[in-house]
Amino acid sequence: MAVKESLPAPDELSDEQQEAVEHLLYRLADDEFVIAERYTEWQVRSPTLESDLALSNIAQDELGHARLWYDLLEDFGYTESELVWERDPGEWRHSTLVEQPFAEGDWADAIVRSYLYDQAEYIRLEALEESSYPRIRDRVPKIVQEEDYHREHAENWMSRLAEEKQGLERLQEAFDRLFPYALTLFAPTDEEVEDRIDDLGLRTEPLDVMREEWLDVVVPFFQDLGVNVDDAELPEQYDVHHSEFELPEHVGRDQSHTDAWFDLQEEFTHTYRKLDRHEANRIMKDPDEA
Amino acid sequence: MDSDVPYDPSDVPTDVDASPDDCDEPAATACAYTEYEYVDAPTTEELPATGADADGVERAVWDELYDIEDPEMPVSIVDLGLLYGVTVEDGHAEVDMTLTYSGCPAREMLMSEVEERVASVDGVDDVNLRLVWNPPWGLEMVTEQGKADLNDFGLSV
Repeated sequence: MAVKESLPAPDELSDEQQEAVEHLLYRLADDEFVIAERYTEWQVRSPTLESDLALSNIAQDELGHARLWYDLLEDFGYTESELVWERDPGEWRHSTLVEQPFAEGDWADAIVRSYLYDQAEYIRLEALEESSYPRIRDRVPKIVQEEDYHREHAENWMSRLAEEKQGLERLQEAFDRLFPYALTLFAPTDEEVEDRIDDLGLRTEPLDVMREEWLDVVVPFFQDLGVNVDDAELPEQYDVHHSEFELPEHVGRDQSHTDAWFDLQEEFTHTYRKLDRHEANRIMKDPDEA
Repeated sequence: MDSDVPYDPSDVPTDVDASPDDCDEPAATACAYTEYEYVDAPTTEELPATGADADGVERAVWDELYDIEDPEMPVSIVDLGLLYGVTVEDGHAEVDMTLTYSGCPAREMLMSEVEERVASVDGVDDVNLRLVWNPPWGLEMVTEQGKADLNDFGLSV
């Protein structure tokens, strides 16, 4: 794909360009924020001390990455309160994979989810390395640097879980439950805007191509572990040209969400509302202001 | 151009200097825009910036920065390699800095300390502190002094 010319600074974008940049940033930021919010539920509840620290640390990474992306939405004048604490939950654009509650006490759920998510995240970061929007392009290396061990963590745990029958059954259940939602990671926010994201070169791979790449990685990995993927509604032979298949009723990207999300949003904004806050506490001016 | 004005072929300037200008190469693109302030690119080519050649007010700023320690380890933030560039012009200081980690919980604390300390330097009237992420910080940014300090602390780097 030809290298596209860089887009101008945030305040010089046309309305259509800005809309495309915003859709892309909401996909990225909301995913990171919400998956981190879910991961923190495992704090002091993970099966071992090491895994507790590891997952907490991964949550912290993802919050850091969410902030790097929300920062770029702040370029357009939005405040942190508007973006996170006061945004209508019906306007968020994260995939419905990340908002699902964990099956109670099921560590395999956390691991499978993290595996599906982090493999997808890696592929989409690769497609942003040559983004035509300099502010996005610049932040990718830092995030990639911090992502490698997320996948390693999930893969190691999956291999361990697959060694015993009970663990393998749990992997299977988690796969069956989460896989349809994981496919929504690659769902469009809006077909026309997503096409514009590609045409502007904001991202160098379209969604369906990234989805095929992701399937090529994750499906064989599950199969090697002994997880049966036959019931998963895979696009026919991963062929981009035959890629129609059923997504869950709520895909998130288009702002449709499962009930679990509204409960989660209610919970993490509880204190903010309880204290009658109208803005996020800041002890200093944002040093990242451009 | 105002399209309401009809084109008049006789209305051409006659005093144009036709000799070549002093541009060696024509610009690659006709209308470049300045993106610098929106890109997290450091202002210094050699990283980390340590202020080795700084003098005057800039020297004083670097001395102040050297005096700030990482919140978790007894090592100067300069030797840790967090500084990506410092300039002072007419009392206005520009500081480019990164953090080891995007989710750094000490972000606000460290940034406000840097802002305050730099602003306290004689000859500095205001400070613009910019957080940059590219290139990402790594152990290779730690200076020899920083490695020695971390070793003394019990960390092998």
